Formats: sequence, C-alpha cells, structure tokens
Amino acid sequence: MKNILESMFTRRRFLQTSGATGAAAFGAAGMAKLTGFSAVGAGGAAPSNAAAASNGSWKDLQMTKNICHQCPARCGINVYTYEDPSTGNRRVTSIYGDPGNPIANGKLCPKGHLGTYFLYDPDRFKQPMRRTNPNKGRDEDPGWEPISWDEAYDEIASRINELRENGEAHKIAHLYGRGWGPSDAGLYGDWGKLVGTPNAAIGHASICAEGSKHAKAAVEGNASYNSYDYKNTNYLLIFGAGFLEAFRPYNYLMQVWGHMRTKSPKTRVTTVDVRMNPTMAASDRYLMTKPGTDGALALAMAHVILTEGLWDREFVGDFDDGENRFSTGSTVDAERFEEVWTRGLVDWWNAELKDRTPEWAAGITGVDADDIRRTAVEFGSTRPAMAIFERGPTAHTNGVYNGMAIHALNALSGSMFAEGGLFYQMGPSYASGPADADDYRDGISRTMEGRYPRIDMAGTERWPFAGTMMQEVAKNHNAGDPYKLKMAMFYTTNPIWTAPDAPEWEKMMSEIFVVDTSPFPGETAKFADIVLPESTYLERLQDSPTYPFEGWPMTALRVPAVEPIYDTTEFGNMMIEIGKRIKGPTSDYYRQVDNVENLLKHLARGFEDDPGDNGVDGWEAWKEQGVWYKKPYHWKQHRGVFYEWDGEGYNIEMTEEEVREKLMPTESGKFEFDSSYLRAEVDYITQHLNVSRDRVGFPQWLDPEYTGGNRDLHFVTPKTPMTAEGRSGNIPQATALMQPSVGGNDRCYVEMHPQTARERGIKDGDRVRITADLGSIEAYVRLMPQNRPDTIILPYEHGHWAQGRWAEAQERATAPGNPNEMTENVSDPISGLAAYYTGRVDVERV
Amino acid sequence: MAKWGMVIDLDKCTGCQACTTACDMENDTLPGESWQDVLYYTEGEYPSGQMKWLPRPCMQCEDPSCVHVCPTRATYKDHDAGGIVFIDWDKCIGCKYCMIACPYGVRFFADEKPLVEPDLKEVFAGSGGQLWDPPGQSPDTDYRRGIGVQPKGVVSKCTFCYHRVKEAPEGVPDLDEDDPELVDYVPACVRTCPPKARFFGDLDNPASNVNKLIGNKNGIRLKDHTGNRPQVYYLGAGAGIPAFQPKS
Repeated sequence: MKNILESMFTRRRFLQTSGATGAAAFGAAGMAKLTGFSAVGAGGAAPSNAAAASNGSWKDLQMTKNICHQCPARCGINVYTYEDPSTGNRRVTSIYGDPGNPIANGKLCPKGHLGTYFLYDPDRFKQPMRRTNPNKGRDEDPGWEPISWDEAYDEIASRINELRENGEAHKIAHLYGRGWGPSDAGLYGDWGKLVGTPNAAIGHASICAEGSKHAKAAVEGNASYNSYDYKNTNYLLIFGAGFLEAFRPYNYLMQVWGHMRTKSPKTRVTTVDVRMNPTMAASDRYLMTKPGTDGALALAMAHVILTEGLWDREFVGDFDDGENRFSTGSTVDAERFEEVWTRGLVDWWNAELKDRTPEWAAGITGVDADDIRRTAVEFGSTRPAMAIFERGPTAHTNGVYNGMAIHALNALSGSMFAEGGLFYQMGPSYASGPADADDYRDGISRTMEGRYPRIDMAGTERWPFAGTMMQEVAKNHNAGDPYKLKMAMFYTTNPIWTAPDAPEWEKMMSEIFVVDTSPFPGETAKFADIVLPESTYLERLQDSPTYPFEGWPMTALRVPAVEPIYDTTEFGNMMIEIGKRIKGPTSDYYRQVDNVENLLKHLARGFEDDPGDNGVDGWEAWKEQGVWYKKPYHWKQHRGVFYEWDGEGYNIEMTEEEVREKLMPTESGKFEFDSSYLRAEVDYITQHLNVSRDRVGFPQWLDPEYTGGNRDLHFVTPKTPMTAEGRSGNIPQATALMQPSVGGNDRCYVEMHPQTARERGIKDGDRVRITADLGSIEAYVRLMPQNRPDTIILPYEHGHWAQGRWAEAQERATAPGNPNEMTENVSDPISGLAAYYTGRVDVERV
Repeated sequence: MAKWGMVIDLDKCTGCQACTTACDMENDTLPGESWQDVLYYTEGEYPSGQMKWLPRPCMQCEDPSCVHVCPTRATYKDHDAGGIVFIDWDKCIGCKYCMIACPYGVRFFADEKPLVEPDLKEVFAGSGGQLWDPPGQSPDTDYRRGIGVQPKGVVSKCTFCYHRVKEAPEGVPDLDEDDPELVDYVPACVRTCPPKARFFGDLDNPASNVNKLIGNKNGIRLKDHTGNRPQVYYLGAGAGIPAFQPKS
C-alpha cells in the first residue's frame, strides 16, 4: 500500500497528469515509432511504474546467427530481435558474441556491439538509384532517381553486352575490399572468365597487408597470412601489428591475451611500434622505433641469437662439432654448419648478419642497444617463442625485407609449425557449386582469355610478384596505359578515399560508368552512375570461411536477423542477376547458380560427409549454429621432426618431400635464409631496389625510401580499435570513443610530441596544416609526450566528405582531412603493398 | 539475498572498451553517457612514457555519497536487489547533486548538447516522454530502478544490468558468462569482456570466485579513504586514479 501511494504522488506522475492532454496526443503520435513496447505506447504517456511492470523483457527475444562485418576477424555473433507489434517486422536490439563460435567464444570487441547502428543508420541507401546529373565531382549532387532492380540490372547488363560484342570486355573492372567467401567475392573468378575480363576482380590486398604474405612466401613458400598457436606460446615479439587494436582476429587476440598473461608460465611480450598505443602499454617492454626500420631491429636480434648460441638446434641445425663459431664481425665456414630444416644460414650470416649488432641497429632505429640485446636474449632463450608482424613494418619500400628479417626469427626459434608457434590455414569441406563455369564459355570468353593484361598490371613484368595492385588502377587508366576502363563496379571498397593519391580516382571515376554496391553513402557512390544498395550484414545471407586463425578449417554463416528493412539484397545476388542478363551461355550458367541461397545450399552438402565438431552436417544445421569447424590442424613440427595427423594423433612422420609439398613449398623445401623466390627475379629486384645481385635472397637491411624529400616529420596513419571497415565516421558511438588517446573525443586528432609542437609555435588543440609533396590537409593537435618527436600520428577514420551526417558534421570532413590525399602512390616493388607509412611531412599552425 | 560485486583484473584488461559499448547497447545510453567508461591516462615522456587505463563502472558503494545528498530520495541503495544503487526516475528532479557528490564520476545527465553532433536525441527523437528513441531499444523498462531509456531531465547510472541479474538462480555464488546456464544473467560489460578481466558474483558468499580472486590477488577498492566502500574491486597493477593535473 505504501508503495502505491508513493508512486502515485511522485513528481513525475504529477506532471504527467497535469499535462494529460498533450502527453496523450504526443504518445499516440510516437507510438508508431516506438517499436515493441506496447505498454509504453498503450498508456499514451511516458513509461510509469505501472506501465513498466507489463513491459517487454530480454527473455522474450529471439536470436539468429551472424558474423560481424566491422573488421576481418569474422566473429560469430548472436543477434537478438523482437517483433514490432505495430508493423509485425522484427527489430534488432542487441548483439553479443556467439559462445559456439571458436573466434568469438561469447565475446566481442568494442565495435561489434554497435552493429545495430549500421542497420538503422538513417543515411542508408533505400533502393537502387540512377544518377541524373551527368557532371561528377565532390560538390556535384548526383541527382539520384529511384529505379527498380530490373531496370538497374538491365542497364548494367546491356553495357556489358555491348562492350563484350565490341571486343572490349577487358574494360569492365570489378574492385573489392572485404570479400567474405564463395557467395560474394568468390563469384568473381567465374564471372571474369565468362564475361572475358582479366579485371574481375581487383582485390584490395595491395592497399592492406600484402607485404607479410610475400615476406613469408620468400622464406618458406607460403604466400599467406599465418595461423598462430598463441595459447601455448611463452614469448610474443610483436612488430607493428596493432595486436590489441587492429590485428585479426582482434576479439580473439584479446581473449588469448587474457589467457597468455595469466597462464603459468606467463607469456612475456615485447612490442615494437612507432607510437604509443595500448599494445605497447600492455606489454612487458616496448621498443619505439623509427618508421620503416623494424627490419634493422630484427636483424640485430638474429645477430644476438646466433652469437649467444640461442638458436633452435633441432630445427636449424648446428656446427659439426657443436662449437658456436658465430662471432661478431667474423665470417664462418659454411661447411662446418649442418642445417636441418633451413637453408643458407651461414651464407646469410656472412653476407649480412655478422655486422648487424645491436649498436648498429640502435643508430638506425633509435632504440637503445641494451634493450635490443635483452629482448633478443629473452626471445632466444624462451620456448616456444614467436615473432609476429603485419602492416607496420611492411608498408614501406623495404617492406618484404623487413618482414623476412622478422620472420627469420621464427626459424631461429624453431617455432615454424610447432606448438606455441605459427603455421597456415586449412579450408572448409565445401561441396562444389550448382554448375561448372567451364561448361558455359562462349567464343568471347575464350578469345579474351590472356589477351589483355590486368588494368593494374599485377603479375606482369611491371609487378612480377604482386597478385593485385589496386592502387595502380586509376593511375593506369588516367595514363591510358595499358588501356582505359569503361566501367567499374565496386564492392566493399572505396579507393577514391582510401587509396594513396586518392584524387587520381576522382578523375578516373568521372570518365567511366561506375556502379557502387555499398548500403551506405560514400565517396564512391558520390561518383557512381548506378547504386545497387547491398543489405547490411544483419540482413544478409552470406558465408565466410575463416581467415588464418588456428589452422583447422572453419566457415561461418550470416543468417538474416531481420528481413531487409529497405529494398536491398546481397551482393552475390547482384552478380548472379547481372550474369543472367549476359547474352549467350553465361546467362544459362547464372540461371543454374540462381541465387545466393541456392549456392550456399550446394556448398553445405560437403558437410554431410564431413560433419563439424559441433555436429553441423548440412544446410539447416549450419544456419542454426552459424558455424562449421573441424579440429585439429593436421601437421606439427616437434623437436625438428614433422608429423601428420592420422585421425588419432600426430603419428605419421613426414618425409622431406612431404614437408616441401604440404608445408614449406620453397625450392629447397626448407626455410630459406637465401630466398629462391626472390632470386628468381634478380633482375627486377636489382633494378627497383638498392640491392646487389649476390645479396638479393637474404633478409637484409635496406633503407626505406621516405617520400616528402627534406621534410622532417614521419607521418603515420594507424588503424584503431574503433575503425569499422571505414564506416565508424558515421557511427556516433564509435566516433565518441576514438583516440585522444584513446579515451575518445569528437574526432581523430593528430598526435605530436610537445617539443615538436613548441618548435613550430603549436599548442595543444591548435589547428595545423600537414603538408607533403602531394598537398596538404588540416587537423587538430593533441600533444602526446609519449610519442617519438620525429613522428606524428593521425589515425585514419575522419575526413570523409560524402559518408553521411555524422561523418561530415563538426568539420569532421575537413579537420582532419583525408590523409590519403597526400599519401604518395609508392609501393614496395616486391610485394606491391602501398607504402602508406613512409611519408614525411611539414606541420605548421593554421 | 546476494550482495553483488564486480572484480576487474587490470593485468588482463586491454582497455578495448567493449564493456563500454556492450553497456551502451544493452542500456541504450548516448555517446558520452558511458555508464561503463574506460579512462585513459598518459604519463612520462618518450622513450619511457606510459599509457594506462581504468575501466570504471558505478562502484555500487555500501555507503554511497550520492544517496546522502539526494534531496528527493530518488537515488537509493537497494539491499533487496544485491546492494545495487538505483535512481528512481519518477522521483529524480535532475538537480545533479549526486553527480557532484559521487567520488567516482559515474553518474550522467544526457540532456545537454552532445559531444558528437548531430544530436542522436534529435535524429531519433523521443516519444512518449523518453529522452530519445534508440533505434534498437532494449525491451526492459523499470523507471523505479533507472532501467530503460530515461525520461528527460533525470540523472542516469549503471544498474549492474539488474534487469538481467535479477533473473539469476537464487543462491548462485558467481555469474560466469562461460556457463551456458548463467550467461544471460551476466551484466553486459562482464559478459563481453574479451580478455575475461571482469568477474561478477556474491560478495556475501566467502566461497564465491569473486571473493577468492579478491583474496588471492589482494583486491583493492578505489578511494577507500572516502569510506564509500565500493562493491567493485580491482586486481593487478595500476589500480588507482592519478591525481588531476590541470592543463598549463
């Protein structure tokens, strides 16, 4: 009774009663918007105690399986929905990690929870649209007019058919960023083959992390990212990987961090990076190096490991009498060293390592020699120990050599394919698709095969190692070399903003027919002729085989949590529908594929013969559980012997030939400190890098070629935890948590050491102009005494000029500006990875 | 009745702020209204500078300053609800005394101009008296305990996700998110924490895991000299709030 009286006379209820008429009218108007909380709307007034008692509960929510789309990690997510009684449609209310998904394990990173805002982003494209304004430019309104899907597909297909008939099929390009699996980017290969273009598709790896793949290919034959056994490692040496910020799979890395840092023995961590960040801070030791010099550190560590006799004898080998002859400055007789699973150790020592002392490296990196030596001794005397790296050391002109030097430490520590070490990824047991494209090729398809190079010239004499060179596309088109494109379709990529020298793309995209498929407005869409809006990930059916993770195969599935809330569809369906409209047998092929669901059902048949560890044995079970996986990884190196899994244990000892075939496919079948992969292109390498012919194959120190001439500040643009595949700029919750540093604020700021600022008359909070050879951008300053005085840091996220209301408000489109506008299009000649972090700039107060 | 407590192990915490966004979405808070914030601090200078962080939920104090100062008794400590400190939005007048009194800065008034514009409160304008209508609003609403989207003009705060915790089986010593039977009852910040730096359990049960952790690792409470006696404990290095240094 007392409670009732209290609640009746609370201030709020008094106010509601006195304003009853207004409140009721307002409440009724709000009802349609106010979703599923019938009691709230039904009362026609604000929720009160009485109304709240009959409100909804999380216990009534339904859950579907999905995969987060905000970074490459591919975390399984449980998406919770309820039915909106006013519309009968389901609404998403929360997202948690899927406990049954081996990457997520019930957990999520800070981005993952915000997925609801992607679905309900009010700036989303709501239906297919055609441009009516023929003029393209940043300030040109495209003049969108809504069209039907059929109209859009017909127009695109008729252009493709015309180009094909004119012998210009190669002038059709597809460009893509985050491809997920066979049901989206996996469709490109057959599409290009059937249509007759070498440009389906140009991937984004060369503006992402291609450097590490080529470093690994160079020394042990696998052009791939690694899988890692973090759980069992006792030493982690991290070079510029953003381990606790952006390395994949970020969510899992934090989970395993919690394990590593509390297990017995605790995993010791040293991190090398160019700026203060959470990974550096959380490590036992950080070494802050000058951008582009990680390779020098790694070489000095290898030097110490050899001189101190700390290499792994069982993997690498030993001197014939067991006496260590590696002594600083002295050459060694190669005959005296008997290698096991490596090749060229002594040659490498003699040609490169013998003089690479910590003191030498200190002069190049700015890192104290004693700290380098201590780290090397720790790394060399701890097992298992692994060295990992990604874009930081490799986004420089010397990137592959930096990466090889780091990866060589994994051979010296014997961690290749070992417990607590690193290895590669197996693929899922998919069955084949609904049809074989080779049965549906017409004359044009065959005539065009091999006739023209790719527009980006990847894999030609210009970039012999590179598999893809997206950053060359606009430049080559604009120069008409090798030809000009006529049409380009974009999927999950926005190089007009993200590629180095981004403005080149505005010119190209003004000249050609552009199709964008993003669910959201963006710079690509601003230059598009047709927009085919994709569904957001929470509305999509899509598969996703894992990125390299723990080696054993896994593939997850996006199941729509809600019907698309606008007139959108899966990208895979767009490819298939356009294919159905290509003249000739191509259309028959795509009628066989029919749609994404049909394709996925065919693939899932493979699980019937090979059920996953979680019992997933076909399509329905896959949809229900969201993931198929099967442990273990099939190979293991233990104390210098390689074993293969026989179904019960690692019981089959492998021959050298089997190791070469299955695990280390180099020329020698060994880990090569003298790379046959690089020596095969000795002319190309000596022509493009300052390396002498006899040294081409060795992991070695090579000065990075900084751009910006005499400018004196290194300019680095890292990816932060809140960077959600380029969309955080329009997610206010994400923007509020970005940087300064890193508790968040209203945008990304440029971080600068106070001494650097003082010398330029700059104070905390000032607006500054950052100038490189290509131009200038502006940004607001945050003083950061923990960073190097010679390096300024601007995380990339803001500076978007066509991405939506939050991205463009409060000067976020201009301060900070887009750093890629002044990033020169310079790449590592070997990997082709754009040298994003190699620029030098001037800074002045505006 | 349990006395709910939280333990945060700073040796495991990676400062990622998944706790912050999980809370944001579970409780429909606005940017800057982070009931569960992570505070970042820097000290020193290259090459020996530091970066450190402190995750900060409401401490659910045993003797809460906020309760003492509230003129309408809107904020109260509920011993029948695990000792959680709630705000009754039907009684709160938005005077903000509690915000000033709280030693930990964990109370929020979200009616003002936001840090990030345009204002979500305008883009997703509130109906039925709500401050705003989040596009994926969670179903639970309990104004007497400050659960749901608040009306205009009131202070909001962490509820230890009481709408979930209250459904937990009676007498359970700990709410461990790795237990499939319990995961749905675990507060959002604990449930999602990737490195498992957070633990939630009954401080009145000497055998609970949270008490063992506090015992084994000498858990501490922040600003214990105030006498507030938080029900949140910290483990590991760095459990402290550096003194405030005004900018020169």
